Amino acid sequence: MASANPSSDTKRTTATVSSGLRQSQTVRPSPPQTPQQQLRSGSFTSTSPGSSFRNEDDAIIFEIGARWLRAGFEGNGTPMCVLGIGPEESRRAGDYRGWIEGKADAAPPSHPVNAEDWTRTYELWRPNLRDVDLGLVEDKIERLFRDTYNQYLLTDAGVSRLVLVLPSLIPHPLLSSLLTTLFSRWRFPSITLLSSATMSATAAGLRSALVVDLGWAETTVTGIYEYREITTKRSMRAMKSVLQEMGRLLTSLASGDPEKPSADEISVGFAYCEGVTSRLAWCKSQAGDEAMDELSSKTVSIPSPTHPEQEYTDVPFSRLAEPVEKVLIAPGVPEDEFDDEENSIPLLVYNTLLALRPDTRGTCMSRIVFVGGGARIPGLRQRIIHEVSLLIDRHGWTPVRGKALERQRQRLRELRLATEKQASNREPEQPASADASSSTDGERPGLSKEEPELDFVEQKLRRQNKDIPVPKQGVLREVESLGAWAGASLATSLKIRGMVEIDREKFLQHGLAGATRDSEPPVPDRRSGLRAGGDRSSWTLAGWA
Amino acid sequence: MSRPFPYTYISCPCADTPVPEPGRKRKSTLSPQKPERTSVPAEDSQETQKEKDDDDEQEQEAQGEDEEEQTFDPRSPRSNFSLYPPEQLLYCEDCHQIKCPRCITEEIVSWYCPNCLFETPSSMVKSDGNRCGRNCFNCPACTAPLAVSAIENMAGNATQQGPWVLSCGYCLWTTLDIGIKFDKPTNIRSQLQKMTDSTAPASFDRKPSRTFGDLKSPLATFSSIDEQSNARHEEDPDQSAHKEDSAPPLGAEARFAALKSFYRTQINETSNSPSDPLSSEFGFSSPGALNRLMSLYASSSRLGGLYGSGNKKPKSKPPVMREALTASEGLRIADSLAEVEVIERLASADCGWNGVASADQRTEQSPDVRFVDDLLPLPVLLRTKRAKRCKPCKHILVKPETKPQSTRFRIRLIALSYIPLPTLRPLAFPSSSSVVSPTVPAPDLTALPPLRPIHVLLNLKNHMFDPVRITLATPSVTPGRVSSKVTVLCPQFEIGANSDVWDEALQGAEAPIADSRSATLRGGEKVPEAGKVWDKGRNWTTVVLEVVPGTLPGTDPLSQGGADDGQSPALPDEDVLEIPVFVHMEWEAEVQLEQQNVGKSSKPDDLVTRELAYWMVLGVGRIQAGL
Repeated sequence: MASANPSSDTKRTTATVSSGLRQSQTVRPSPPQTPQQQLRSGSFTSTSPGSSFRNEDDAIIFEIGARWLRAGFEGNGTPMCVLGIGPEESRRAGDYRGWIEGKADAAPPSHPVNAEDWTRTYELWRPNLRDVDLGLVEDKIERLFRDTYNQYLLTDAGVSRLVLVLPSLIPHPLLSSLLTTLFSRWRFPSITLLSSATMSATAAGLRSALVVDLGWAETTVTGIYEYREITTKRSMRAMKSVLQEMGRLLTSLASGDPEKPSADEISVGFAYCEGVTSRLAWCKSQAGDEAMDELSSKTVSIPSPTHPEQEYTDVPFSRLAEPVEKVLIAPGVPEDEFDDEENSIPLLVYNTLLALRPDTRGTCMSRIVFVGGGARIPGLRQRIIHEVSLLIDRHGWTPVRGKALERQRQRLRELRLATEKQASNREPEQPASADASSSTDGERPGLSKEEPELDFVEQKLRRQNKDIPVPKQGVLREVESLGAWAGASLATSLKIRGMVEIDREKFLQHGLAGATRDSEPPVPDRRSGLRAGGDRSSWTLAGWA
Repeated sequence: MSRPFPYTYISCPCADTPVPEPGRKRKSTLSPQKPERTSVPAEDSQETQKEKDDDDEQEQEAQGEDEEEQTFDPRSPRSNFSLYPPEQLLYCEDCHQIKCPRCITEEIVSWYCPNCLFETPSSMVKSDGNRCGRNCFNCPACTAPLAVSAIENMAGNATQQGPWVLSCGYCLWTTLDIGIKFDKPTNIRSQLQKMTDSTAPASFDRKPSRTFGDLKSPLATFSSIDEQSNARHEEDPDQSAHKEDSAPPLGAEARFAALKSFYRTQINETSNSPSDPLSSEFGFSSPGALNRLMSLYASSSRLGGLYGSGNKKPKSKPPVMREALTASEGLRIADSLAEVEVIERLASADCGWNGVASADQRTEQSPDVRFVDDLLPLPVLLRTKRAKRCKPCKHILVKPETKPQSTRFRIRLIALSYIPLPTLRPLAFPSSSSVVSPTVPAPDLTALPPLRPIHVLLNLKNHMFDPVRITLATPSVTPGRVSSKVTVLCPQFEIGANSDVWDEALQGAEAPIADSRSATLRGGEKVPEAGKVWDKGRNWTTVVLEVVPGTLPGTDPLSQGGADDGQSPALPDEDVLEIPVFVHMEWEAEVQLEQQNVGKSSKPDDLVTRELAYWMVLGVGRIQAGL
């Protein structure tokens, strides 16, 4: 099983091997069932194991985030509906202003609004729960799910199994609110949680990936190896900031003084701004690209920020690339100026790759998957990959930076040149592979001596596994994903059982606290959790704990 | 709020007794700013199974009382979810409680297309994707219904022959815009499906046939694997470009189908060990897995254990599930050229703002759609007729007739048959203003001058066959930053029973008519008096509320001279004057199933005193900004 990565080299440690094995077992249901397990599960509860799984309607899959909700049936390629969250959704019953007056949020607000307040009504929640009324969130969730069932899914709510696709780092109070609302409002027999990053990788056809989720409140970069989340890093540079920046840009356009550095107040409508962003925002694929420069000279006409219904204004096309670039890429800002939580996206991707072990890194870096709203912005993904490759060229794969180090490296390089001169007479050296730390280390000569041996094993392996294609490794490559929803639909329709399946009765008894304490439950437990028809005496929150 | 002033809303009592009980209590104990688990409070808060229910309910009631003491705030964002127009509420006769859409459960009775009103059998609903399988389509650009029409200029013959298109009568969009014509005017949906499956440009949707063909043909599979194995020697762009040339990228649905069949085959291949009867579909046999584990730990050479190489146990080498490698397996390498094309197209003159699909248009379409040219007509989403049940007691509240054409209901227990219908209207300015002709008495409700008292008449009309005693309570000052003073001049009164109209006419015809006549006669002179009912009829009573609208923040000229700097300008809708009124009604109901004998004199034995209490919100009007 661990040989899914046959080209991995001898640098791999024992720990990696065994953990790799465990990782692959976490997702693929390969349950060695021990009699002890069955005994325990049999004696613990009386619920019949298989009944809740097979002979049942299709499970319904919801992917819910701060701005969007996707819902549909398992086995479908696309969700039945995609619903945005906005102020219209939290109006009173019988309040038809949204229909009578037209979209109120397209028109500019009566007075400039603070950028935070500007987005507030459009979010279901925000990651900082301090200023979130969870009761209100519950109300919204309840109405959202009810409307989705009544308008789009057209089945009775609560009859069939529910699968929720959630980011693995969702605040516990929020998760609890969500589950409590769903369980107490409808009679869902069970709710399965699936991690959105893993599902995005699944929907790309991959087992290992680096999933870059350009989401609303934050961008998360998750390294996934054999379906298992290894590292996650996050940054506040995400679509919310892009939208706010676009709002500022449009505000300054509206005020007629494009050069004026606008304050943190926005005086254009949110929906209008979102429209502009979703239609015309783009990103230069490379910093200095001639073709792009040529494009930039063009102008496009967009509805005027002040009177979106009536007139159009001409905007240089290049300006529409500015917010995305400024917020997500942050060109020209030295790395050390970023705070911990606001790394630029290329740096974030690089750091995440750096945090992975070398073989995992090699696998992940050639399987970069972009999901989230930002992934739709044309040019952005290429730009990020490009910037990451620049970072790799500049730093190699070492986290150590500094002037003293530079000097030392210089010295070592000279030293190596000298030794290479001597060595070149005897044996021709292998060129450094693309992903290996080509830049530096002092042990370089030592490593290169081992390489022929390594290659010998590799070659032998390849000869043996001729028909098994070797996975691509060590090159930056982007793979497109169908998105987390599709991944969940895929996984569910293949009858793969999620790690976290929350039983109704058990949740209502103990809430989230009823989950097994260990975030890493003992292996037998986990296997029992993966049993096809198995009952679980205990349930776990796994990645959500 | 958007309803024309004045309006009334009723808050469903379920908001006071929150349904997700463990959650509510947990939230009060568990501070939300702690994302990490605090297990203890959560645990004890959520033990709400049957034996604990009573305790919790008592606590809940205690909490509820706390909440009731603080008045209902119509401005709080949560109130939007519990306020309903009175006519939208239901009433459960078993629980004797108002029921809103939040405290009922729904069951679908039938599915139908709102456009052609044909009922869809339940077996067809899912296969049709919850959409009309006939000829009903919505315009992808403006969502208006599309009409099937012939292309006239095609041929002059009178019998409408020739190709057909779907055209929108509102925005003049036709399927010709995306290059689609139909051969027959019927069964458009399947025609459209076929077309989007085969034609190249609009084929972003469903194309499973090609995919499966690729997978089934062994040659294709081999060649693609070869391709892939070459790929690791080649440069990536070449490879992907080559692929793009050979086949257009699959649409979302097709890729999904490809991925699905890929995973299926992988799972089958990796789990077809004959020794294991259990793993029919997925996973390895457990002995196999154990063997492998053992060999892993036993073998000194890890590589041997991992890859089954060497001479050790070649037969125990497990088949390995691999990732998708070719486009036919659902893999899609990002294509940077396509992105550049998209950017160029965005910038080009012929695309512009209107050439790009808006976010609203895109949510209805396949996720690949970016430009207007890619929009496909949308089959009309089906609707449902739903029966509604009370959530706690499962009593049926609403049961519609199955037929889509029928608007009748078999059962419908609407709340207005049980609670008095509140209506509000303004009274002329009191005598402080100069002489006003009685014909234009009402103040402009959309611009109420602040700090000037107005009188509004609250009429409560009883639809029950029993007289009802009503107690009204309002906070003297409305909650929120705009503090308007409210006084109910007569907070306690009775409303007569909804007896037969003829009864009234025959028995006490004189009194009420005279009453109302005298009221109309006196007209302007009638002065609202504290403690007295304004007007009264057979089954209705009107009382007067005196309201002094407060001043809007930021425009306050009188008070808070120093505190002005802290005041932000009025938020949207903050100028709406809404009065929360707590209604407590009490009546002597006859014991179940004996409601027919209305006119009888009451026998105290079979009478039950019932009471019902709820919050009501009266929307009086908008307050003017300045004086």
